[in-house]
Amino acid sequence: MLEYDLFDSLRVFPSGIILFDFLFILVATPIEAVILNQRLKFDKRTSAFYAISMNVFSNAIGWMIFFALEPTVFFGGYKLEVINYLLYNRLSNQVRGGIVLAAFITFFATLMVKFALLRILIISLSEPGEKKPQPSEENSGTVARRSLRDKRTLQSTSLFTTTLIANSLSYSAITLIVLFRWFALGNV
Amino acid sequence: MGVIKETLSLLGLTVLFDFFKGIIERVKYIFIPPKAFSWQTLIYLSLFSWLMSSLADQGSAIRDIIAFFGWMFLIAGTSWYTTDKPLYIPGTVMPIGAVITGGIVSIFAFQQDFDETGIVRTVIFWPTISAIITAIPEFFEGSGTDVKRQLPKLEDRQSIIVLIGCCILLSCWLNLSIVVDDWFKQYPSAQYPIDQEKFPRTNDLLTTLEPENKTPQNGVLVLNKLQSAVETSLEGRNWSEVERWLKRARQNRNANGLGQKIINIHLAGFEEKELWEVKTDVDNIDPKDINSYRLDLFVVWKGPSASKNRYYLKNSCQLEPIAESIDIIGSQPERITVAEIECLPASRISYIAGKLPQRLIDN
Repeated sequence: MLEYDLFDSLRVFPSGIILFDFLFILVATPIEAVILNQRLKFDKRTSAFYAISMNVFSNAIGWMIFFALEPTVFFGGYKLEVINYLLYNRLSNQVRGGIVLAAFITFFATLMVKFALLRILIISLSEPGEKKPQPSEENSGTVARRSLRDKRTLQSTSLFTTTLIANSLSYSAITLIVLFRWFALGNV
Repeated sequence: MGVIKETLSLLGLTVLFDFFKGIIERVKYIFIPPKAFSWQTLIYLSLFSWLMSSLADQGSAIRDIIAFFGWMFLIAGTSWYTTDKPLYIPGTVMPIGAVITGGIVSIFAFQQDFDETGIVRTVIFWPTISAIITAIPEFFEGSGTDVKRQLPKLEDRQSIIVLIGCCILLSCWLNLSIVVDDWFKQYPSAQYPIDQEKFPRTNDLLTTLEPENKTPQNGVLVLNKLQSAVETSLEGRNWSEVERWLKRARQNRNANGLGQKIINIHLAGFEEKELWEVKTDVDNIDPKDINSYRLDLFVVWKGPSASKNRYYLKNSCQLEPIAESIDIIGSQPERITVAEIECLPASRISYIAGKLPQRLIDN
Protein backbone atom coordinates (compact mmCIF):
# COMPACT_ATOMS: atom_id res chain seq x y z
CA MET A 1 0.00 0.00 0.00
CA LEU A 2 2.75 2.44 0.89
CA GLU A 3 5.25 2.30 -1.91
CA TYR A 4 6.18 5.90 -1.59
CA ASP A 5 9.73 6.95 -1.07
CA LEU A 6 9.72 10.51 0.10
CA PHE A 7 13.48 10.81 -0.13
CA ASP A 8 13.44 9.66 -3.71
CA SER A 9 10.56 11.97 -4.41
CA LEU A 10 12.07 15.21 -3.20
CA ARG A 11 15.42 15.32 -4.91
CA VAL A 12 14.76 18.87 -6.04
CA PHE A 13 13.40 21.38 -3.56
CA PRO A 14 12.53 24.96 -4.54
CA SER A 15 14.03 26.43 -1.37
CA GLY A 16 15.25 29.56 -3.13
CA ILE A 17 11.89 30.28 -4.70
CA ILE A 18 10.17 29.94 -1.33
CA LEU A 19 12.76 32.13 0.41
CA PHE A 20 12.47 34.82 -2.25
CA ASP A 21 8.68 34.68 -2.03
CA PHE A 22 8.95 35.09 1.73
CA LEU A 23 11.39 37.98 1.27
CA PHE A 24 9.00 39.70 -1.16
CA ILE A 25 6.17 39.48 1.37
CA LEU A 26 8.51 40.69 4.10
CA VAL A 27 9.48 43.72 2.03
CA ALA A 28 6.05 44.52 0.63
CA THR A 29 4.09 44.29 3.87
CA PRO A 30 5.68 47.19 5.84
CA ILE A 31 5.61 49.45 2.80
CA GLU A 32 1.92 48.82 2.23
CA ALA A 33 1.16 49.10 5.94
CA VAL A 34 2.73 52.55 6.05
CA ILE A 35 0.75 53.68 3.00
CA LEU A 36 -2.52 52.36 4.43
CA ASN A 37 -1.77 53.97 7.76
CA GLN A 38 -0.98 57.36 6.23
CA ARG A 39 -3.60 57.62 3.54
CA LEU A 40 -6.59 55.82 5.04
CA LYS A 41 -5.89 56.72 8.68
CA PHE A 42 -6.26 53.19 9.98
CA ASP A 43 -4.47 52.66 13.24
CA LYS A 44 -1.09 50.95 13.07
CA ARG A 45 -2.22 47.46 14.06
CA THR A 46 -5.15 47.48 11.66
CA SER A 47 -3.07 48.70 8.72
CA ALA A 48 -0.44 46.08 9.46
CA PHE A 49 -3.20 43.48 9.51
CA TYR A 50 -4.59 44.69 6.18
CA ALA A 51 -1.15 44.75 4.61
CA ILE A 52 -0.19 41.26 5.82
CA SER A 53 -3.51 39.70 4.81
CA MET A 54 -3.57 41.42 1.42
CA ASN A 55 -0.09 40.24 0.59
CA VAL A 56 -0.39 36.72 1.93
CA PHE A 57 -3.75 36.07 0.29
CA SER A 58 -2.84 37.67 -3.04
CA ASN A 59 0.35 35.61 -3.01
CA ALA A 60 -1.61 32.43 -2.38
CA ILE A 61 -4.11 33.32 -5.11
CA GLY A 62 -1.20 33.95 -7.47
CA TRP A 63 0.22 30.52 -6.74
CA MET A 64 -3.17 28.92 -7.28
CA ILE A 65 -3.48 30.60 -10.67
CA PHE A 66 -0.02 29.28 -11.46
CA PHE A 67 -1.00 25.76 -10.42
CA ALA A 68 -4.08 26.02 -12.62
CA LEU A 69 -1.97 27.18 -15.58
CA GLU A 70 0.88 24.73 -15.04
CA PRO A 71 -0.68 21.64 -16.66
CA THR A 72 -1.94 23.58 -19.70
CA VAL A 73 -0.38 23.56 -23.14
CA PHE A 74 0.25 27.28 -22.81
CA PHE A 75 2.65 26.78 -19.93
CA GLY A 76 4.02 23.58 -21.47
CA GLY A 77 5.58 25.71 -24.20
CA TYR A 78 7.62 27.60 -21.61
CA LYS A 79 8.46 24.72 -19.30
CA LEU A 80 11.91 24.12 -20.76
CA GLU A 81 12.75 27.81 -20.46
CA VAL A 82 11.64 27.72 -16.83
CA ILE A 83 13.74 24.62 -16.12
CA ASN A 84 16.72 26.16 -17.86
CA TYR A 85 16.32 29.31 -15.78
CA LEU A 86 15.79 27.51 -12.49
CA LEU A 87 18.77 25.21 -12.94
CA TYR A 88 21.28 27.34 -14.79
CA ASN A 89 20.02 30.91 -14.64
CA ARG A 90 19.88 31.09 -18.40
CA LEU A 91 17.23 33.04 -20.24
CA SER A 92 16.85 32.87 -23.98
CA ASN A 93 16.21 36.11 -25.81
CA GLN A 94 12.84 34.95 -27.10
CA VAL A 95 11.23 34.96 -23.67
CA ARG A 96 12.49 38.30 -22.41
CA GLY A 97 9.63 40.18 -24.02
CA GLY A 98 7.22 37.63 -22.60
CA ILE A 99 8.61 38.19 -19.11
CA VAL A 100 7.99 41.93 -19.33
CA LEU A 101 4.45 41.27 -20.51
CA ALA A 102 3.89 38.71 -17.73
CA ALA A 103 5.20 41.18 -15.14
CA PHE A 104 2.84 43.83 -16.51
CA ILE A 105 -0.17 41.52 -16.32
CA THR A 106 0.85 40.30 -12.84
CA PHE A 107 1.05 43.87 -11.59
CA PHE A 108 -2.47 44.77 -12.67
CA ALA A 109 -3.92 41.41 -11.66
CA THR A 110 -2.35 41.82 -8.21
CA LEU A 111 -3.75 45.33 -8.00
CA MET A 112 -7.26 44.07 -8.70
CA VAL A 113 -6.92 41.15 -6.30
CA LYS A 114 -5.52 43.35 -3.54
CA PHE A 115 -8.29 45.90 -3.99
CA ALA A 116 -10.94 43.19 -3.78
CA LEU A 117 -9.20 41.65 -0.77
CA LEU A 118 -9.02 44.99 1.00
CA ARG A 119 -12.75 45.51 0.61
CA ILE A 120 -13.51 41.99 1.85
CA LEU A 121 -11.16 42.45 4.81
CA ILE A 122 -12.78 45.75 5.77
CA ILE A 123 -16.16 44.02 5.73
CA SER A 124 -14.77 41.10 7.75
CA LEU A 125 -13.62 43.42 10.50
CA SER A 126 -16.87 45.37 10.76
CA GLU A 127 -19.43 44.46 13.38
CA PRO A 128 -22.77 43.43 11.83
CA GLY A 129 -24.83 46.03 13.64
CA GLU A 130 -22.27 48.74 13.43
CA LYS A 131 -21.59 51.32 10.76
CA LYS A 132 -18.75 50.49 8.41
CA PRO A 133 -15.40 51.93 9.42
CA GLN A 134 -14.76 55.03 7.41
CA PRO A 135 -11.53 54.69 5.53
CA SER A 136 -11.78 58.15 3.96
CA GLU A 137 -11.92 60.19 7.09
CA GLU A 138 -9.64 62.77 5.56
CA ASN A 139 -12.55 63.79 3.37
CA SER A 140 -15.16 63.69 6.13
CA GLY A 141 -15.83 67.42 5.86
CA THR A 142 -16.95 67.19 2.28
CA VAL A 143 -18.44 63.73 2.60
CA ALA A 144 -21.04 64.94 5.09
CA ARG A 145 -22.66 67.09 2.46
CA ARG A 146 -22.76 64.47 -0.25
CA SER A 147 -25.38 61.84 -0.84
CA LEU A 148 -24.78 58.28 0.30
CA ARG A 149 -24.06 57.07 -3.20
CA ASP A 150 -21.44 59.73 -3.79
CA LYS A 151 -19.86 58.84 -0.51
CA ARG A 152 -19.57 55.24 -1.48
CA THR A 153 -17.89 55.99 -4.80
CA LEU A 154 -15.54 58.40 -3.09
CA GLN A 155 -14.61 55.79 -0.52
CA SER A 156 -14.07 53.33 -3.28
CA THR A 157 -11.86 55.66 -5.33
CA SER A 158 -9.85 56.54 -2.28
CA LEU A 159 -9.39 52.87 -1.47
CA PHE A 160 -8.43 52.14 -5.04
CA THR A 161 -5.90 54.95 -5.27
CA THR A 162 -4.35 53.84 -2.01
CA THR A 163 -4.12 50.24 -3.18
CA LEU A 164 -2.55 51.45 -6.42
CA ILE A 165 0.08 53.48 -4.58
CA ALA A 166 0.81 50.73 -2.08
CA ASN A 167 1.04 48.09 -4.78
CA SER A 168 3.27 50.25 -6.99
CA LEU A 169 5.68 50.96 -4.16
CA SER A 170 5.89 47.35 -3.04
CA TYR A 171 6.40 46.19 -6.62
CA SER A 172 9.17 48.75 -7.05
CA ALA A 173 10.90 47.36 -3.98
CA ILE A 174 10.51 43.81 -5.28
CA THR A 175 11.83 44.84 -8.69
CA LEU A 176 14.87 46.35 -6.98
CA ILE A 177 15.51 43.04 -5.21
CA VAL A 178 15.15 41.13 -8.47
CA LEU A 179 17.50 43.53 -10.25
CA PHE A 180 19.97 43.28 -7.40
CA ARG A 181 19.96 39.50 -7.69
CA TRP A 182 20.34 39.84 -11.46
CA PHE A 183 23.45 42.00 -11.12
CA ALA A 184 24.85 39.94 -8.26
CA LEU A 185 24.72 36.81 -10.41
CA GLY A 186 26.36 38.74 -13.22
CA ASN A 187 24.08 37.75 -16.07
CA VAL A 188 23.44 41.13 -17.60
CA MET B 1 0.61 -4.75 45.45
CA GLY B 2 1.26 -4.69 49.16
CA VAL B 3 3.59 -7.65 49.04
CA ILE B 4 5.54 -6.22 46.17
CA LYS B 5 5.88 -2.94 48.04
CA GLU B 6 7.17 -4.66 51.18
CA THR B 7 9.64 -6.72 49.21
CA LEU B 8 10.95 -3.70 47.38
CA SER B 9 11.23 -1.62 50.55
CA LEU B 10 13.20 -4.43 52.17
CA LEU B 11 15.51 -4.29 49.20
CA GLY B 12 15.66 -0.50 49.53
CA LEU B 13 14.01 0.10 46.16
CA THR B 14 11.02 2.18 47.18
CA VAL B 15 12.05 4.80 44.64
CA LEU B 16 11.65 2.24 41.88
CA PHE B 17 8.23 1.32 43.19
CA ASP B 18 7.12 4.93 43.25
CA PHE B 19 8.45 5.42 39.76
CA PHE B 20 6.46 2.52 38.35
CA LYS B 21 3.43 3.48 40.38
CA GLY B 22 3.59 6.94 38.85
CA ILE B 23 3.67 5.47 35.37
CA ILE B 24 0.75 3.15 36.12
CA GLU B 25 -1.25 6.07 37.54
CA ARG B 26 -0.58 8.10 34.44
CA VAL B 27 -1.48 5.25 32.10
CA LYS B 28 -4.66 4.73 34.13
CA TYR B 29 -5.43 8.43 33.86
CA ILE B 30 -5.01 8.34 30.09
CA PHE B 31 -6.79 5.10 29.33
CA ILE B 32 -9.66 4.97 31.81
CA PRO B 33 -12.35 7.52 31.08
CA PRO B 34 -13.17 9.61 34.18
CA LYS B 35 -16.82 9.77 33.19
CA ALA B 36 -18.98 8.25 30.46
CA PHE B 37 -18.88 11.33 28.23
CA SER B 38 -15.19 11.98 27.72
CA TRP B 39 -12.61 11.91 25.00
CA GLN B 40 -11.37 8.46 25.95
CA THR B 41 -14.84 7.09 25.24
CA LEU B 42 -14.69 8.57 21.76
CA ILE B 43 -11.27 7.07 21.06
CA TYR B 44 -12.50 3.67 22.30
CA LEU B 45 -15.56 4.01 20.10
CA SER B 46 -13.34 4.72 17.13
CA LEU B 47 -11.18 1.69 17.91
CA PHE B 48 -14.33 -0.40 18.25
CA SER B 49 -15.68 0.89 14.92
CA TRP B 50 -12.36 0.15 13.30
CA LEU B 51 -12.45 -3.41 14.63
CA MET B 52 -16.05 -3.87 13.52
CA SER B 53 -15.42 -2.46 10.07
CA SER B 54 -12.48 -4.80 9.61
CA LEU B 55 -14.79 -7.71 10.46
CA ALA B 56 -17.48 -6.57 8.02
CA ASP B 57 -17.49 -7.76 4.41
CA GLN B 58 -14.99 -6.24 2.05
CA GLY B 59 -16.48 -3.50 -0.07
CA SER B 60 -19.88 -3.53 1.57
CA ALA B 61 -21.71 -0.31 2.37
CA ILE B 62 -21.94 -1.25 6.07
CA ARG B 63 -18.19 -1.44 6.31
CA ASP B 64 -17.80 2.03 4.81
CA ILE B 65 -20.43 3.47 7.11
CA ILE B 66 -18.85 1.95 10.23
CA ALA B 67 -15.41 3.10 9.08
CA PHE B 68 -16.80 6.58 8.51
CA PHE B 69 -18.12 6.69 12.09
CA GLY B 70 -14.77 5.41 13.29
CA TRP B 71 -13.06 8.35 11.64
CA MET B 72 -15.60 10.78 13.07
CA PHE B 73 -15.07 9.42 16.60
CA LEU B 74 -11.32 9.59 16.17
CA ILE B 75 -11.44 13.19 14.91
CA ALA B 76 -13.85 14.24 17.68
CA GLY B 77 -11.82 12.44 20.37
CA THR B 78 -8.51 13.90 19.24
CA SER B 79 -9.85 17.41 18.99
CA TRP B 80 -11.47 17.08 22.42
CA TYR B 81 -8.29 15.81 24.02
CA THR B 82 -6.16 18.45 22.40
CA THR B 83 -8.48 21.32 23.25
CA ASP B 84 -8.59 20.22 26.90
CA LYS B 85 -5.20 21.75 27.55
CA PRO B 86 -4.19 23.69 24.48
CA LEU B 87 -0.47 23.86 23.88
CA TYR B 88 0.41 26.50 21.30
CA ILE B 89 3.01 26.41 18.60
CA PRO B 90 5.48 29.04 19.78
CA GLY B 91 4.81 32.47 18.34
CA THR B 92 1.45 31.64 16.80
CA VAL B 93 -2.16 31.36 17.85
CA MET B 94 -2.28 27.82 16.52
CA PRO B 95 -2.69 25.05 19.08
CA ILE B 96 -0.67 21.90 18.41
CA GLY B 97 -3.90 19.97 18.89
CA ALA B 98 -5.38 21.61 15.81
CA VAL B 99 -2.36 20.49 13.81
CA ILE B 100 -2.84 16.89 14.95
CA THR B 101 -6.59 16.97 14.32
CA GLY B 102 -5.93 18.64 10.97
CA GLY B 103 -3.60 15.81 10.05
CA ILE B 104 -6.20 13.19 10.90
CA VAL B 105 -8.93 15.07 9.01
CA SER B 106 -6.59 15.40 6.04
CA ILE B 107 -5.81 11.68 6.06
CA PHE B 108 -9.51 10.97 6.34
CA ALA B 109 -10.33 13.28 3.44
CA PHE B 110 -7.82 11.71 1.06
CA GLN B 111 -7.89 8.11 2.28
CA GLN B 112 -9.82 6.98 -0.80
CA ASP B 113 -6.73 6.98 -2.96
CA PHE B 114 -3.96 6.35 -0.51
CA ASP B 115 -1.28 6.10 -3.15
CA GLU B 116 1.35 8.63 -4.10
CA THR B 117 -1.04 11.43 -5.08
CA GLY B 118 -3.18 10.74 -2.02
CA ILE B 119 -0.27 11.11 0.37
CA VAL B 120 0.95 14.21 -1.42
CA ARG B 121 -2.49 15.78 -1.18
CA THR B 122 -2.76 14.85 2.48
CA VAL B 123 0.46 16.68 3.25
CA ILE B 124 -0.39 19.66 1.06
CA PHE B 125 -3.80 20.29 2.60
CA TRP B 126 -2.67 19.62 6.14
CA PRO B 127 -1.75 23.22 7.10
CA THR B 128 -4.89 24.69 5.57
CA ILE B 129 -7.19 22.21 7.28
CA SER B 130 -5.39 22.75 10.59
CA ALA B 131 -5.91 26.50 10.27
CA ILE B 132 -9.60 26.05 9.60
CA ILE B 133 -9.87 23.73 12.62
CA THR B 134 -8.15 26.39 14.72
CA ALA B 135 -10.64 28.95 13.49
CA ILE B 136 -13.87 26.98 14.02
CA PRO B 137 -13.98 27.06 17.86
CA GLU B 138 -13.63 30.84 17.78
CA PHE B 139 -17.08 31.08 16.29
CA PHE B 140 -18.72 29.21 19.17
CA GLU B 141 -19.12 30.04 22.79
CA GLY B 142 -19.65 27.82 25.82
CA SER B 143 -18.82 24.19 26.17
CA GLY B 144 -20.46 20.81 26.23
CA THR B 145 -24.18 20.89 25.55
CA ASP B 146 -25.07 24.57 25.35
CA VAL B 147 -23.24 26.11 22.42
CA LYS B 148 -23.93 29.59 21.15
CA ARG B 149 -22.80 31.03 17.90
CA GLN B 150 -20.77 34.17 18.16
CA LEU B 151 -18.56 36.43 16.12
CA PRO B 152 -15.04 36.43 17.53
CA LYS B 153 -13.55 39.59 18.93
CA LEU B 154 -11.91 41.96 16.48
CA GLU B 155 -8.37 41.01 17.47
CA ASP B 156 -9.15 37.31 17.36
CA ARG B 157 -10.66 37.72 13.95
CA GLN B 158 -7.51 39.45 12.72
CA SER B 159 -5.22 36.74 14.01
CA ILE B 160 -7.46 33.99 12.58
CA ILE B 161 -7.47 35.61 9.14
CA VAL B 162 -3.70 36.02 9.16
CA LEU B 163 -3.26 32.44 10.35
CA ILE B 164 -5.51 31.04 7.61
CA GLY B 165 -3.72 33.13 4.98
CA CYS B 166 -0.29 31.96 6.13
CA CYS B 167 -1.39 28.33 6.21
CA ILE B 168 -2.86 28.55 2.70
CA LEU B 169 0.43 30.03 1.53
CA LEU B 170 2.29 27.21 3.25
CA SER B 171 0.09 24.72 1.41
CA CYS B 172 0.90 26.53 -1.85
CA TRP B 173 4.62 26.25 -1.14
CA LEU B 174 4.30 22.55 -0.42
CA ASN B 175 2.43 22.09 -3.67
CA LEU B 176 5.07 24.14 -5.47
CA SER B 177 7.78 21.80 -4.26
CA ILE B 178 5.77 18.85 -5.57
CA VAL B 179 5.21 20.55 -8.93
CA VAL B 180 8.87 21.49 -9.34
CA ASP B 181 9.97 18.00 -8.30
CA ASP B 182 7.63 16.58 -10.89
CA TRP B 183 9.22 18.70 -13.64
CA PHE B 184 12.60 17.23 -12.87
CA LYS B 185 11.16 13.74 -12.84
CA GLN B 186 9.88 14.39 -16.35
CA TYR B 187 13.18 15.95 -17.44
CA PRO B 188 15.83 14.05 -15.44
CA SER B 189 18.48 14.52 -18.12
CA ALA B 190 18.41 18.31 -17.81
CA GLN B 191 20.68 18.15 -14.75
CA TYR B 192 23.60 16.61 -16.63
CA PRO B 193 26.55 16.64 -17.12
CA ILE B 194 27.58 16.58 -13.49
CA ASP B 195 30.98 18.12 -13.20
CA GLN B 196 31.28 20.75 -10.51
CA GLU B 197 34.66 21.93 -11.76
CA LYS B 198 33.88 22.33 -15.43
CA PHE B 199 30.25 23.33 -15.06
CA PRO B 200 29.79 24.92 -11.66
CA ARG B 201 26.18 25.48 -10.74
CA THR B 202 25.00 28.94 -9.89
CA ASN B 203 21.40 28.21 -9.05
CA ASP B 204 20.13 29.86 -5.92
CA LEU B 205 16.49 29.04 -6.57
CA LEU B 206 16.61 25.29 -6.20
CA THR B 207 18.29 22.92 -3.80
CA THR B 208 19.14 19.83 -5.79
CA LEU B 209 20.47 16.54 -4.62
CA GLU B 210 23.05 15.36 -7.07
CA PRO B 211 21.62 12.59 -9.25
CA GLU B 212 22.78 9.12 -8.26
CA ASN B 213 24.17 8.23 -11.66
CA LYS B 214 27.05 10.02 -13.28
CA THR B 215 25.60 9.41 -16.73
CA PRO B 216 22.08 10.33 -17.83
CA GLN B 217 20.18 7.06 -17.49
CA ASN B 218 17.70 7.76 -20.25
CA GLY B 219 20.48 8.39 -22.75
CA VAL B 220 22.30 5.22 -21.75
CA LEU B 221 19.04 3.28 -22.03
CA VAL B 222 18.35 4.57 -25.53
CA LEU B 223 21.91 3.91 -26.66
CA ASN B 224 21.93 0.34 -25.34
CA LYS B 225 18.55 -0.45 -26.85
CA LEU B 226 19.61 1.11 -30.14
CA GLN B 227 22.77 -0.95 -30.16
CA SER B 228 20.93 -4.21 -29.60
CA ALA B 229 18.29 -3.26 -32.18
CA VAL B 230 20.99 -2.58 -34.76
CA GLU B 231 22.73 -5.81 -33.86
CA THR B 232 19.59 -7.91 -34.23
CA SER B 233 18.69 -6.33 -37.55
CA LEU B 234 22.19 -6.70 -39.08
CA GLU B 235 23.87 -9.69 -37.44
CA GLY B 236 24.11 -12.65 -39.73
CA ARG B 237 22.28 -10.95 -42.56
CA ASN B 238 23.29 -11.20 -46.16
CA TRP B 239 26.17 -8.80 -46.79
CA SER B 240 24.59 -7.07 -49.76
CA GLU B 241 21.46 -6.45 -47.74
CA VAL B 242 23.55 -4.99 -44.94
CA GLU B 243 25.41 -2.76 -47.36
CA ARG B 244 22.11 -1.42 -48.63
CA TRP B 245 21.02 -0.75 -45.05
CA LEU B 246 24.25 1.11 -44.36
CA LYS B 247 23.92 3.13 -47.52
CA ARG B 248 20.49 4.31 -46.48
CA ALA B 249 21.66 5.00 -42.94
CA ARG B 250 24.51 7.09 -44.32
CA GLN B 251 21.97 9.29 -46.04
CA ASN B 252 19.28 9.66 -43.40
CA ARG B 253 21.71 9.58 -40.46
CA ASN B 254 19.04 8.23 -38.10
CA ALA B 255 19.54 4.46 -38.25
CA ASN B 256 16.70 4.19 -40.76
CA GLY B 257 14.11 5.35 -38.26
CA LEU B 258 15.12 2.80 -35.63
CA GLY B 259 16.17 5.53 -33.20
CA GLN B 260 12.85 7.32 -33.18
CA LYS B 261 11.03 4.03 -32.59
CA ILE B 262 13.26 3.16 -29.65
CA ILE B 263 12.87 6.58 -28.06
CA ASN B 264 9.10 6.39 -28.43
CA ILE B 265 8.96 2.95 -26.82
CA HIS B 266 11.47 3.24 -24.01
CA LEU B 267 11.03 6.87 -23.01
CA ALA B 268 7.24 6.85 -23.30
CA GLY B 269 6.88 7.79 -19.62
CA PHE B 270 9.01 10.91 -19.87
CA GLU B 271 8.15 14.30 -21.28
CA GLU B 272 11.80 14.69 -22.18
CA LYS B 273 11.56 12.10 -24.97
CA GLU B 274 11.12 14.95 -27.46
CA LEU B 275 14.56 16.18 -26.54
CA TRP B 276 16.54 13.06 -27.32
CA GLU B 277 17.71 12.39 -30.85
CA VAL B 278 19.51 9.50 -32.44
CA LYS B 279 22.21 10.08 -35.04
CA THR B 280 24.33 7.60 -36.94
CA ASP B 281 27.50 7.93 -38.89
CA VAL B 282 28.72 5.31 -41.35
CA ASP B 283 32.27 5.23 -42.60
CA ASN B 284 34.91 2.81 -43.88
CA ILE B 285 37.35 1.81 -41.20
CA ASP B 286 40.21 1.72 -43.62
CA PRO B 287 39.82 3.84 -46.77
CA LYS B 288 41.52 1.12 -48.81
CA ASP B 289 39.31 -1.65 -47.58
CA ILE B 290 35.84 -0.85 -48.79
CA ASN B 291 34.42 -3.98 -47.27
CA SER B 292 34.54 -3.12 -43.62
CA TYR B 293 32.48 -0.40 -42.04
CA ARG B 294 32.35 1.54 -38.84
CA LEU B 295 28.91 2.49 -37.57
CA ASP B 296 28.84 5.23 -34.94
CA LEU B 297 25.71 5.57 -32.86
CA PHE B 298 25.02 8.90 -31.21
CA VAL B 299 22.29 9.73 -28.71
CA VAL B 300 22.05 13.49 -28.48
CA TRP B 301 20.43 15.57 -25.74
CA LYS B 302 18.83 18.72 -27.12
CA GLY B 303 17.38 20.17 -23.92
CA PRO B 304 18.76 22.35 -21.13
CA SER B 305 22.04 21.12 -19.72
CA ALA B 306 24.85 22.20 -17.47
CA SER B 307 27.21 22.66 -20.38
CA LYS B 308 26.16 25.34 -22.81
CA ASN B 309 26.85 23.06 -25.77
CA ARG B 310 24.81 20.20 -24.34
CA TYR B 311 26.08 16.65 -24.45
CA TYR B 312 25.82 13.36 -26.24
CA LEU B 313 26.56 9.67 -25.81
CA LYS B 314 28.38 7.62 -28.36
CA ASN B 315 29.03 3.98 -29.16
CA SER B 316 30.84 2.46 -32.16
CA CYS B 317 30.27 -0.78 -34.00
CA GLN B 318 32.36 -2.57 -36.58
CA LEU B 319 30.82 -4.43 -39.50
CA GLU B 320 32.68 -7.00 -41.51
CA PRO B 321 31.67 -9.55 -44.09
CA ILE B 322 32.38 -13.16 -43.28
CA ALA B 323 31.95 -16.18 -45.48
CA GLU B 324 29.62 -18.85 -44.30
CA SER B 325 28.55 -22.05 -45.89
CA ILE B 326 25.03 -23.30 -45.76
CA ASP B 327 24.14 -26.91 -46.26
CA ILE B 328 21.21 -27.26 -48.57
CA ILE B 329 19.70 -30.69 -48.65
CA GLY B 330 20.19 -32.47 -51.93
CA SER B 331 22.81 -30.20 -53.39
CA GLN B 332 26.31 -28.90 -52.76
CA PRO B 333 27.03 -26.60 -49.80
CA GLU B 334 26.55 -22.98 -50.86
CA ARG B 335 28.87 -20.24 -49.75
CA ILE B 336 27.34 -16.90 -48.87
CA THR B 337 28.68 -13.72 -47.31
CA VAL B 338 27.00 -12.55 -44.14
CA ALA B 339 27.66 -9.60 -41.87
CA GLU B 340 29.36 -9.76 -38.51
CA ILE B 341 28.78 -6.83 -36.18
CA GLU B 342 30.71 -6.03 -33.06
CA CYS B 343 29.98 -3.07 -30.82
CA LEU B 344 31.84 -1.69 -27.83
CA PRO B 345 30.57 -3.04 -24.51
CA ALA B 346 28.18 -0.86 -22.50
CA SER B 347 30.96 0.06 -20.08
CA ARG B 348 32.91 1.77 -22.85
CA ILE B 349 30.22 4.14 -24.03
CA SER B 350 31.64 7.63 -24.44
CA TYR B 351 29.81 10.44 -22.72
CA ILE B 352 30.86 13.77 -24.14
CA ALA B 353 29.89 17.28 -23.12
CA GLY B 354 29.86 19.52 -26.14
CA LYS B 355 28.57 19.78 -29.65
CA LEU B 356 28.27 16.90 -32.08
CA PRO B 357 30.85 16.79 -34.87
CA GLN B 358 29.88 19.38 -37.45
CA ARG B 359 29.22 16.89 -40.27
CA LEU B 360 26.42 15.28 -38.25
CA ILE B 361 24.45 18.42 -37.57
CA ASP B 362 21.46 18.87 -39.84
CA ASN B 363 21.32 21.97 -41.86
